[in-house]
Amino acid sequence: MFSLSLCFQVDNSSLTGESEPQSRSPDNTHDNPLETRNVAFFSTNCVEGTARGIVICTGDHTVMGRIATLTSGLETGKTPIAKEIEHFIHIITGVAVFLGVTFFILAIVLGYSWLEAVIFLIGIIVANVPEGLLATVTVCLTLTAKRMAKKNCLVKNLEAVETLGSTSTICSDKTGTLTQNRMTVAHMWFDNQIHEADTTEDQSGASFDKSSVTWLSLARVAGLCNRAQFKAGQDALPILKRDVAGDASESALLKCIELCCGSVRANRDRNKKVAEIPFNSTNKYQLSIHETEDTNDNRYLLVMKGAPERILDCCSTIMVQGKEQPMDEELKESFQNAYMELGGLGERVLGFCHTMLAEDQYPKGFAFDTDDVNFQTDQLCFIGLMSMIDPPRAAVPDAVGKCRSAGIKVIMVTGDHPITAKAIAKGVGIISEGNETVEDIAARLNIPVSQVNPRDAKACVIHGTDLKDLSQDQMDDILRNHTEIVFARTSPQQKLIIVEGCQRLGAIVAVTGDGVNDSPALKKADIGVAMGISGSDVSKQAADMILLDDNFASIVTGVEEGRLIFDNLKKSIAYTLTSNIPEITPFLLFICANIPLPLGTITILCIDLGTDMVPAISLAYETAESDIMKRQPRNPFRDKLVNERLISIAYGQIGMIQAVAGFFAYFVILAENGFLPSKLVGIRLNWDDRSVNDLEDSYGQQWTYEQRKIVEFTCHTAFFVSIVVVQWADVIICKTRRNSVFQQGMRNKILIFGLFEETALAAFLSYCPGMDVALRMYPLKPSWWFCAFPYSFLIFVYDEVRKLLLRRNPGGWVERETYY
Amino acid sequence: MQVGTMDLVTLVVFGSWLAPALASAENADKDYDSPFEYDYESLRIGGLVFAVVLFVLGIVLIVTKKCSCSSDKPRPKAPDEETAVPIAQ
Repeated sequence: MFSLSLCFQVDNSSLTGESEPQSRSPDNTHDNPLETRNVAFFSTNCVEGTARGIVICTGDHTVMGRIATLTSGLETGKTPIAKEIEHFIHIITGVAVFLGVTFFILAIVLGYSWLEAVIFLIGIIVANVPEGLLATVTVCLTLTAKRMAKKNCLVKNLEAVETLGSTSTICSDKTGTLTQNRMTVAHMWFDNQIHEADTTEDQSGASFDKSSVTWLSLARVAGLCNRAQFKAGQDALPILKRDVAGDASESALLKCIELCCGSVRANRDRNKKVAEIPFNSTNKYQLSIHETEDTNDNRYLLVMKGAPERILDCCSTIMVQGKEQPMDEELKESFQNAYMELGGLGERVLGFCHTMLAEDQYPKGFAFDTDDVNFQTDQLCFIGLMSMIDPPRAAVPDAVGKCRSAGIKVIMVTGDHPITAKAIAKGVGIISEGNETVEDIAARLNIPVSQVNPRDAKACVIHGTDLKDLSQDQMDDILRNHTEIVFARTSPQQKLIIVEGCQRLGAIVAVTGDGVNDSPALKKADIGVAMGISGSDVSKQAADMILLDDNFASIVTGVEEGRLIFDNLKKSIAYTLTSNIPEITPFLLFICANIPLPLGTITILCIDLGTDMVPAISLAYETAESDIMKRQPRNPFRDKLVNERLISIAYGQIGMIQAVAGFFAYFVILAENGFLPSKLVGIRLNWDDRSVNDLEDSYGQQWTYEQRKIVEFTCHTAFFVSIVVVQWADVIICKTRRNSVFQQGMRNKILIFGLFEETALAAFLSYCPGMDVALRMYPLKPSWWFCAFPYSFLIFVYDEVRKLLLRRNPGGWVERETYY
Repeated sequence: MQVGTMDLVTLVVFGSWLAPALASAENADKDYDSPFEYDYESLRIGGLVFAVVLFVLGIVLIVTKKCSCSSDKPRPKAPDEETAVPIAQ
């Protein structure tokens, strides 16, 4: 809090987002401590001047400290993908426990002992749990995170990779995120006309007509009446990238003039400064007196710039097309209109004027006194206006457009003024052409604001002070009914309230920001996105994702990758779950039909943790089936990762065919060895009995325990290989959920690699000498490999037909029952 | 004493008659069992060769396709040139 200040200015951009330095004085102008002029804040920068004051708050009680407490006290909820995986785990656990308990009871009923029944229970649960799935999901997310890192999106939290894909609302900060955070000259008014300047970063925009003499005078005044300078040693850098010593507006003017008219320093050297009155808030202008470069002319040049209305008051004439004309009402009227228009665009407007001081009154060597003004400061010649704005970043309008066509709502939340915020929102596309706020409608129809039907206004701009008075229901109402919303003059606490409001309505919220004032919102959001280069460390800490090149358009990339990985995870899970059925059914038949065990636990693990891993991971490399950016964001309550339809396909349809394939191979081997299927039913007790060494088969041959067990383990190996063979077909059909495989193509090289490796591993496990001792897996005769081929083909044909029906009858029974 | 030598001669005569009979019985067993014998050694070798070939083919597929695909991909766009000029830092 200040007791004394002298031309004191602070830059509050790290706290409130205002890019313009604010002047401070000892007067209490406002109740709100953020608005009043006699308070400065911890961690903001002082730009110029001197002041003396007393400290009123320290540490946690400062505004900065309160933001820090707010941020650290927030609990981040679960990410959407974590919720989905939890839901999926519940389903799988339910099925596993249900089957396990059912068969436990069945086993007891059938007369097995307690211990045996418990062993069956455990075996069934092991077969039900997809052991490799956790590794698969982690690898898929990691691959996506790597892909995003290549596109300059650094993801700090692995699960956040998918969150952007589910996002339905983006709350974006303005300064530094949507805008470049540097003031740039946008418009000029001279010769009774508004001219547009080029605000793009690489000077690719349209240029204006520079031939007018008025422009030359304007440029001269802007260059001379300016205390900003380029820092030394930057001649090699392009003008826009150079560092400037001086305040934001003067830097903007300096760069503009340098770009248009050449070296300002040379111009200043030619027109030496003799005296100057710096800008102060009482006068609201800045004035300097120069010697002209014309050596024959001994007159002094007085140039002045400042607030437009003050400058106009000091002027009696106006320059039009290079000629001085007396100021008349018509010209004053057009000046007012221009000023209104530029102000309405949210730009900061400055007026410029000059005069040549008469030689007789002010001869060469005249001592100009700046404290006690001894020269004329009126009867000047008005030249024109220049207005400045912090322009939007180049990639932002496009990115906002893409987000909106992807069904994502974009809301601007800023600490800056409503008019600037609205202007930027219009420039960026958050408020689209043709959408009006209630104020716009009132102005257009010339009726008071209260008479406007709120339903007509699709857009609205809400001031922070109004936000304080809103109840939760009113806030929900606003968020629900308006598609284009701008919140201006919001405090960090209010940003948090806005995010919470959106989340209450069931949206998944992404917050983008770069300053300290954004950090509570960044933390609370489902995904916080911070700017990497210009962002503060606090915001980078609070965020889940960092845009390394500050490119807002990377958010579109994030959305695309997130949606893609969600789809691919579905496919991967469907693939992995399918092999559960051919793993469980041997156990079930073993218990119920008393046949020798068709598939052992070691072989189950060889499938889940061995051969199924690479194909499941390879599904993460699948390309999108249709344009994912044209879809609506998924509804977190209805569109689940794993739903009943996926389970029905995996367990009920494809899984069953796979189980039949396995059993077919099993029966074929036993039959070839002499045990016809009819003989097998009920043989279990004798088969597993070590003491029975003369078990007779269908042909009367007698088998010792060891011999039988070798045949049994050969059957396990064959069942395992059959599962591998049918999983070839499964991975190919899981590539697509709707398109035909022929449409999608086999461009996924990792998948083909997976198929080869899977088969190589299966062959290795079967044929490697020593496997019979180590894992009890035996070499298979080549003909037994082919047992499962017809079933593999059947799976392929079945699913292609299903997808064909699905495509032909959108919304029909097939889609409702089987499209996952 | 003569009984011992006579027994020995009878045993030798009996044995020499038995041996060829035994030998021929063994041969007959071999032919009889042949449908039950299977050459697992060559099967193992064949299977292992198949496994190695597939494995190498997979690696080759990944390595070469990755090279040719990355040369087809367009060069990544250079990041937009934007700087935030720090104000009076």
